[in-house]
Amino acid sequence: MDLVVLRALVVCLSFTLSTSLANAATPNPLEFSGFARVIMGYLDDENAEYVGYDNSLSIDQQSLLGLQADYRLSEEIAFTGQVVGYTDDQRSSGLEWLYLTYTPNSALQVKLGRQRIPFFNHSDSLDVGFAYPWLTLPQQVYDTAFFSTFDGVLANYQFTLNDWQINYEGYWGRFDDEIHLDSQDLDTQVIGLFGVNASVSYRNFNLRASYGQGDIDIEQDEATQFAQLLRQFGFTNNADWLNANGLLQFYQLSANYEDLDYFLRSEVTKMTGAGGLFADIDSFYISAGYNFYPYTVYISYGRKDLHFEHLANEIPFGVSPELDLLAATYLGILDLFPDDESKGTKIGIRWDWQYNVALKAEMTFVEANDAISNDYAVRDLGGFDGHAVLYQFGLEWVF
Amino acid sequence: MVVANTGDQSIQLNRQQVRSLFMGGVIPYQLKAVALPPENHTRVLFNTKIIGLTESRIQSYWAQMRFTGRKRAPREFDNETSMLQFLLRNVGATGYLPAGMDVPEQLTVIYTIP
Repeated sequence: MDLVVLRALVVCLSFTLSTSLANAATPNPLEFSGFARVIMGYLDDENAEYVGYDNSLSIDQQSLLGLQADYRLSEEIAFTGQVVGYTDDQRSSGLEWLYLTYTPNSALQVKLGRQRIPFFNHSDSLDVGFAYPWLTLPQQVYDTAFFSTFDGVLANYQFTLNDWQINYEGYWGRFDDEIHLDSQDLDTQVIGLFGVNASVSYRNFNLRASYGQGDIDIEQDEATQFAQLLRQFGFTNNADWLNANGLLQFYQLSANYEDLDYFLRSEVTKMTGAGGLFADIDSFYISAGYNFYPYTVYISYGRKDLHFEHLANEIPFGVSPELDLLAATYLGILDLFPDDESKGTKIGIRWDWQYNVALKAEMTFVEANDAISNDYAVRDLGGFDGHAVLYQFGLEWVF
Repeated sequence: MVVANTGDQSIQLNRQQVRSLFMGGVIPYQLKAVALPPENHTRVLFNTKIIGLTESRIQSYWAQMRFTGRKRAPREFDNETSMLQFLLRNVGATGYLPAGMDVPEQLTVIYTIP
């Protein structure tokens, strides 16, 4: 499959490049553009996987091709569609965007339709590797947002106050699709999804804060059935804990600085879920870089701390074999949801070879504690000692 | 220097406003930025002195803006002459020109790089 996808990518790329060069001269109401990544990676540990990479050289984890069409109906109204083809079979290729933009003036923009969720700084441009310095976004923060698109409305309002640029954004909508965790695909619905974010920029400084929430409903038949059984026996607290549904909340704060020579980027995020099966996740990264055009070198440190409010077993042992089985099953389920901590330190270089093509090389030192849930970037294939290095090399292209 | 096709000859921007205008931000006037291509020397000077970012960072900023559907990069012209012709024909159009260049009287110099 890898070769077929790769060949399709190359054919598409050469086609889009030739057409976009031909179309560059005059502005047109219909415009095509796109982005592509070809990323090669290798993990030096045979007992683990990180961001899908294992102990063999692979190109089919993060490589992708995105195509965007913008049709401008008038000064105020435009339509945008974006399709993305992923080589990673954990992500479903297809329509990422289809929305209408209404721009009554230069300050206000309203988008209606399917679009990306702007939870964190790079949530809405995850796939556009050309837009950020790292090769792989700090996973300690970025693999904690399980879904990236929503159907709804988003409004953005920007204004200036003296020399400060201030930007407010709010969105409201729903998500209804599968999310991928480990080997499971879970049917998930999030209703009443809404969020606000504000960013202020002054000279080369930028601060952003955001809050998002939604009512999540994950289809987990086994857990639901077992919870019903517990409830029949009167163990309602344990039954209630076996629930991933309820209010989901996202918080984010970031501070960035950049000038001709240096950049500093940092982001702190927090996610909490009401149900017992939904972990609270605290994560952050900080990154510093030095530019010597056309090169950028950077160093980055990220950390994720995921913890469950594990509820102690209330089922007595030694009363009857049935209750023993029930208690053992409950404890077995608790074990399936371990607290999970991981760190990622990376160094890398970006070379802007052309104005729209960048080459990147990056090394990520992965550290994980004993318990690994296997639901996130780090996976223990058995006997993983918690230390691994990911080597990556990639090409980023926008056209 | 930054010149605009505006009837109001009194408009003067500060450096921060010029930066905002060319990075897709809002300013108190109805002006629309146009640019020169990345390899152009005037653009390189403008990036260094006003925007304060390298060309590669500016390119990645516009990639992010475009593929998040937020803003579009200013329209680019091949050289100063074709930019000047566009400025003369379009009210509100704003561009940057090298210091020594003659500015037609229909255009207003709204900022001069010190």
